[in-house]
Amino acid sequence: MDEEIKEEKQFCVFGIGEREFLIPKESVVQIVDITKIFPIPGSPDYIVGALPVRGKIIPAIDIAKVYNVERINYSDNKLLVVDVDGEKIGILSDITPFFVSFDKDIVVDDYIDPKKLFEELKVKQPSSNKANEF
Amino acid sequence: MISQEELIKYFLLESEEYINTIIEGLEDLEHKGYNKDTLEALYRATHTLKGSASIVKFNKIATLSHKLEDLFEALMNEEIEYESSLLNVIKKVINAIVSLINEISKLKKEQSEIDDNLLKLIEDIIERKISYQPEQVAETYISMPMLNSVRVDLSHIENIFDILGEVILQKNIINDREKELKSLIDEILNSGKKLFNEITTFSDRYWLTPLDKTHKVLDSFFTDFSDLEFDRYDEYHIFTRKIAEITNDINEGLNELILFFDNLSYNFKSLNKEINNLRDNLLMIRMIPIGRLLNKIAEAIKDIANSLGKKINIEIKGSDVKIDKPIFDALYEPILHLLRNAVDHGIEPPETRTALGKSKIGNIKINIKKEGKYINISISDDGRGIDIEKVKEIAFNKGLISQEQLTFMPKEEVLSYIFAPGFSTSEKVDFQSGRGMGLNIVKTTITKLKGTIEVSSEIFKGTTFLIKIPQSLTISYLLIFSSSNLEFAIPINYIEEILLIEDFPEVKRDKKINHKNRIIPVKIFSEQYFSSNGKDKDRGYIIIFNFLGIRKGLLVEDILGQEETTIYPLGKFLEGLIQYIGYVISSNGVPRLVIDPLRIFEEEFYFAHAPTPHIVKGAKLSRTVLVVDDSISVRKSLQTLLESKNVRVYSAKDGAEALNILENKHVDIVITDLEMPVMHGYELISRLRKDYRFKDLPIIVLTSRGTKKHQEKAIDLGADGFIIKPFDDKTITELLSKFEILNSNIY
Repeated sequence: MDEEIKEEKQFCVFGIGEREFLIPKESVVQIVDITKIFPIPGSPDYIVGALPVRGKIIPAIDIAKVYNVERINYSDNKLLVVDVDGEKIGILSDITPFFVSFDKDIVVDDYIDPKKLFEELKVKQPSSNKANEF
Repeated sequence: MISQEELIKYFLLESEEYINTIIEGLEDLEHKGYNKDTLEALYRATHTLKGSASIVKFNKIATLSHKLEDLFEALMNEEIEYESSLLNVIKKVINAIVSLINEISKLKKEQSEIDDNLLKLIEDIIERKISYQPEQVAETYISMPMLNSVRVDLSHIENIFDILGEVILQKNIINDREKELKSLIDEILNSGKKLFNEITTFSDRYWLTPLDKTHKVLDSFFTDFSDLEFDRYDEYHIFTRKIAEITNDINEGLNELILFFDNLSYNFKSLNKEINNLRDNLLMIRMIPIGRLLNKIAEAIKDIANSLGKKINIEIKGSDVKIDKPIFDALYEPILHLLRNAVDHGIEPPETRTALGKSKIGNIKINIKKEGKYINISISDDGRGIDIEKVKEIAFNKGLISQEQLTFMPKEEVLSYIFAPGFSTSEKVDFQSGRGMGLNIVKTTITKLKGTIEVSSEIFKGTTFLIKIPQSLTISYLLIFSSSNLEFAIPINYIEEILLIEDFPEVKRDKKINHKNRIIPVKIFSEQYFSSNGKDKDRGYIIIFNFLGIRKGLLVEDILGQEETTIYPLGKFLEGLIQYIGYVISSNGVPRLVIDPLRIFEEEFYFAHAPTPHIVKGAKLSRTVLVVDDSISVRKSLQTLLESKNVRVYSAKDGAEALNILENKHVDIVITDLEMPVMHGYELISRLRKDYRFKDLPIIVLTSRGTKKHQEKAIDLGADGFIIKPFDDKTITELLSKFEILNSNIY
């Protein structure tokens, strides 16, 4: 892990299939080896399940389902644990995530804003008349 | 009744807070000048102080605070002009109050008299009879009594509970590990003993006879050997001796290990006990006597009754029963609601009561009782009761119930319709005898607290509501089950009983069962949660829920047991999954989602039904015995005997076959022979005890070897009882009754 370099912003790079995504380094709290994921019946398809970490569960998100990334083989062996306002979510990565720095003003593609991601992907309550259709 | 002493304690705690608020407010006034908000805060603090003081019957403090309240009110409404010189008078009153509080703290009563001049002065100020002449000496505050308690933010306690949850989790893991260790040790011990025996017999045989060198060996076997070979024989001797010594050492080591394990086991047990102790004590921290809540509400209700021209007497029993703070807070509204209804609709005006031959004063009784982990609150009045015909009429008009249903429906069930959503809000006016508004809200609140509410009523005699709630929300009692290889948990408070799917072979097709003359709709868990019919396994259980009289079944594949644990919330990201209450983590780290039973059947709840919901302590199952014996005649005779007692029997001819059956069938008790081919009884027992699913399964040993040694060995391995062959009817019956196999009333 690189030490701070001035005037540069640090990102964490993770990969799904052929694509790589960037997420701000400061929101990454932990990188966990995936041993077993426990499915959560009724959750949207991009939530592959929950991973128990230190007595709490962390929902694991498959970004491939969100960004329509094609993936031939599932080798998701790492879970990037991201903290969004005290709530922890996990993102699957096919590669071992690493950290990079860029100049502040470089605009990067495939940048993921954790807060936005959280808000967009969090499970919405079903409307009352459909409450039972999970 | 809550003791006066206890009440005083609470009053002292409360008053400290109010006095501090008042002093802060006064300082604000002093430094920042007139401010309406500050005055409002002061007004409110004095008002509540007055209220608390009058509950404990400290009339002097009540009078003084009342005067201050009036003064603050007048100032707030700008009826009189604020002058900073007023502060001195106010301070004097505060000091008078604080001195009284100090007296209460020491003597448990108010002793000194109120300075009437001071009261008069305030009255005069309020009525603007005099313009107040400030004194030159500024008042300083008297300090409050020192209390032997601290106030702690609830979040600190929550934190401690989180940590405690982790501790309990680790404790459970240690407990499981301890059992694993025990069986490991047993295994080593067994092998060690075998080794020791072998070595002993071996050396006994070859060692003792030709030890003496001077003694000529006469055995032709030896004389035929050359000297050289004799040396080897010597070495062989030495080796054997060494082995014997080592075995002795091992044996000693094993004995020490047993001793060590026993000590460790004892330590674990103490730790366990202490942790449970800690938990109970921590739970108590958050517990508040329910009397504090009821006293407050009772005062408010008496005011309401007065304003309605009704006279009531409220009797509270068991107010020292303690409940968890969050439940305490949440109960306020529903209880207030029920009492207000009782006064509003239940208790008749005094004239009517006299005409009816009732006492002029209406009686409301609140009875609180602790029942295990639950608390029962019954609220009854001796008012006019609920008119069941009116309830029928409204339920029918609202389309909640059909004409045919009405004719058959028991009274209690009809009554329970008053909890239905929108039942009578609109009929409030002409539904005089009933309980008008919002009983549905009451029910919803109680349900959220994982509690239940029932009503019973007799026209002209009165109405009783019975609320049953858990004492604490922190620890939940869950049934653990599995489906599609995933583990789930469900709160047991609605579970009435658990049935075996074998007894209802058509359930998967019919989606309903006929049980105890009731048609109970059944949902299949795997269909609901995995949209698969979970492969047609014939194994499974039907969990019967009782939601205030409505019974529903849920078919699950396997039941793993019961647990007492803390439910964690799913967090913001997943909280949209409302079918789950939260999750728990098993002792081996497996997360289990906690199912909300109400959600599964949600669309079927248009209304609520009646009678006694029954909280079961454990799962009631049909009884099944597995007989393991290599002799077919023993198996058959035992089977015939057991089946004549309405017990289901599976049989196996050895340990391996038994394990296979246990893997696929539910068994309540195992009766096993010890000597069998393939896998003998000792191994079967030791294997079962190592498997967490079977660690508590009763095992009875069937043996012709009546010696103590054999019995002890089997008991050591984990058997629970004995049958000595040949057995008779009586022994079997007695033993099975002991394990509650025969007294089942399922069939």
